[in-house]
Amino acid sequence: MIKAHHRWMCFADHRPAMNISLRLFMAVFGGYGLALLCGAALASGLSFALAFDAVTFAVMIAFIVQLVAVIWVIAAATLVRAALGLIIPAAIFGAWLVAPQLVS
Amino acid sequence: MNFDRPRGLRQSMSWLHTYSGLTLGWLVFAIFVTGTLSFFRNEITFWMQPERHKANSDIVTFERALGVLESEAPNARQWTMTLPGPRNPTLGISWQNPQQNAQQNIRQTAIPNNNERRVPSDTDTVGRGNESNAGNAERRSPRRQGEGVEMSASAEGRPTRQGVADAERRGSRGNAERRTMQTDEGDEEELLSPRQSQNTLEQAQSRPQEQPQQQHGGARGVRLTLDPATGEKLGGRETAGGNFLYRFHFELYGMDRIWGRWIIGIATMLMFIAIVSGVIVHRNIFKDFFTFRPAKGKRSWLDAHNGCSVLSLPFHIMITFSGLLLFGNMMIPTAMQSAFKGDMDAYRQNVRNRMANFEYKPPAGERATMIEIAPLVAAAERTWKNRKAGSVIITNPNDKHAVIEVRQSSIGGSLVAGRSAAQSLYFDGVSGQSLTGADAAKPTTVQAISNVLILLHRGFFASPIPRWLLFLGGVGGSLMVATGLIMWRVARQKDQEKQQRSSGAGFRVVEGLNVTGIAGLMVAIGAYFWANRLIPADVVGRNDWEIRAFFIVWAITLIHAFTRQHKMAWVEQLAVAGILIGLLPLLNALTGGLALSASIGKGQWVVAGFDITALLMGVGLLYTTYRVYKYAPKTIASILTAGKASEKKTHEQGMPLPDTFTSDPRSSSFAQRSEESA
Repeated sequence: MIKAHHRWMCFADHRPAMNISLRLFMAVFGGYGLALLCGAALASGLSFALAFDAVTFAVMIAFIVQLVAVIWVIAAATLVRAALGLIIPAAIFGAWLVAPQLVS
Repeated sequence: MNFDRPRGLRQSMSWLHTYSGLTLGWLVFAIFVTGTLSFFRNEITFWMQPERHKANSDIVTFERALGVLESEAPNARQWTMTLPGPRNPTLGISWQNPQQNAQQNIRQTAIPNNNERRVPSDTDTVGRGNESNAGNAERRSPRRQGEGVEMSASAEGRPTRQGVADAERRGSRGNAERRTMQTDEGDEEELLSPRQSQNTLEQAQSRPQEQPQQQHGGARGVRLTLDPATGEKLGGRETAGGNFLYRFHFELYGMDRIWGRWIIGIATMLMFIAIVSGVIVHRNIFKDFFTFRPAKGKRSWLDAHNGCSVLSLPFHIMITFSGLLLFGNMMIPTAMQSAFKGDMDAYRQNVRNRMANFEYKPPAGERATMIEIAPLVAAAERTWKNRKAGSVIITNPNDKHAVIEVRQSSIGGSLVAGRSAAQSLYFDGVSGQSLTGADAAKPTTVQAISNVLILLHRGFFASPIPRWLLFLGGVGGSLMVATGLIMWRVARQKDQEKQQRSSGAGFRVVEGLNVTGIAGLMVAIGAYFWANRLIPADVVGRNDWEIRAFFIVWAITLIHAFTRQHKMAWVEQLAVAGILIGLLPLLNALTGGLALSASIGKGQWVVAGFDITALLMGVGLLYTTYRVYKYAPKTIASILTAGKASEKKTHEQGMPLPDTFTSDPRSSSFAQRSEESA
């Protein structure tokens, strides 16, 4: 399974120090950034009767998203997959956040 | 572990578990320990004021308390009585002196439809932190300045964004805003903003709790503590009390509080990551829980760590996640910004709590005899069935328009409903007729979930048994962190022995921090309580000295841990901690407190509970000292000659050690070595 992904490997994958540094960077800043984006997207994107509820709910989910993001970044087989695991959800949350403004 | 090599999920998670746990592990341990003690914050404060131990709370004689209020505060517009409860056996009375209260009175009468629950009594309001800023400022700035001063003072201490938001809100909202801030049931507003969540955290300082500084710095509000039965005034030394431990738990000490909160927030997130990755590592989580292999070095530590963690896993997850939620709006500010497009006004408006909807009338100026209080309290308790009254608030005392509010104690409240479920019943002070308006709105699902999490974290609702369960959960969490930290060192020591390496600097730092962070913290806590009794009761600013004693002793343990040989550092610090904490009941009896025999005899469980817990902790620490002292690390040779068959069996049962725990999990396991030698 790991072999199948070898074409996705980048040069940093083969360098232990650089590999772990990039992963830590992605886990700390990527994870937190994704949480912030998730919080923003959910708080405005979900329709609750009380906007306050949307905020509370968004904060709860944001923390869980951060947790999952960190686990993903550390567990992913290659750095590219680790980064994609941050970029794809970030794109989705970003689109969700921006879409209503584009429509109106 | 090298990330450039293929590896399994569990190996990755094991790495993540190790380093997310280790990075701020000592801080997490301190957070766990102080947080655990904070479940009994009020009880600790009460213990730390031995002058009050003799309070007799069997009967409350309202007449005596009213007599004191009448003679001390004949002109006050509002009297508050905090009734004795299981967490504090004294009767608190407080009032505001009208001459210093002019500003507030004007505001009150200026609001046409004043639906406040009550006129804010100074001590009470500030103590609960509902007058948000005031509550926040109180620890650092001298209290009881004019209220405007208090508010701006705290805005200064805050980073600009927030300060500006505060100012905007205050400016635009004026009276309406103040009204909300004074309402007592701020729980619905709990997660609103960093500030807001701070407020509700402060609220926890609330009722039964004495705010000693207030008595000394009291320019506006006055609070006295009485013996409930006799109405006799009970003094009480100035003390940092349980509040110091409580505040340290969520904002550390000696730094800007926002920094403290961020550091704690980050530590909490790391803990959250460590717990969840730890669960992923433990595939056989159920089986591991029943596995304990004592006296086998690293394996025993691993089993102990698993046992502590799994035993109260739901508690650990709840306490870290709700801890994050308490800082939710500070750590994820984007949520409320995007939902309200930066309009914080709308934000607060959105969650405003609906209060009891009737109007207080201004005093009629006509003297009237008030109805007896005891029957009203009894009637209220009958209405609530299993809830007790927590306080009695008299507005316009001895006036024709007197209103008597009987408020529930938070103990036994509904978790789902939040603290706003601490309802009040209102009575006409003269006729005794009920004035109660409609109930507060029911919480929504999301609110109910966050209420449950947050109230569990703060233990507000809890009657004694759930409170002790929370306490035990906290003890389990502390042990989980401590065993985890020690295991890191034990695992690496083996490697180093094997490879004949001398200890590296990182290894030595972890060793030293382990001793200071675990045993040293216990010594410091013991010293804190000793300082409480040994610093003369009338020294000015003695609460600061108590806190200094705590930090000075902790600093000494740090130096000690790095200068002594590792094992001896453990032994000595654990012994000192055990002696300091174990002798607290004796110290208590010798320095004016109620001796353990007397407190049990009198049924004074607040004091007896503290003493018994201290005694048990002391014994536990001394036993640990003994075990550490007797411990002789096994050499590889001695393990090889030990029972081989049993080793193999236990190895098969147990989970394979993840590779962070050894340099190479398979080849270094005892079982395989046994096979090789056989």
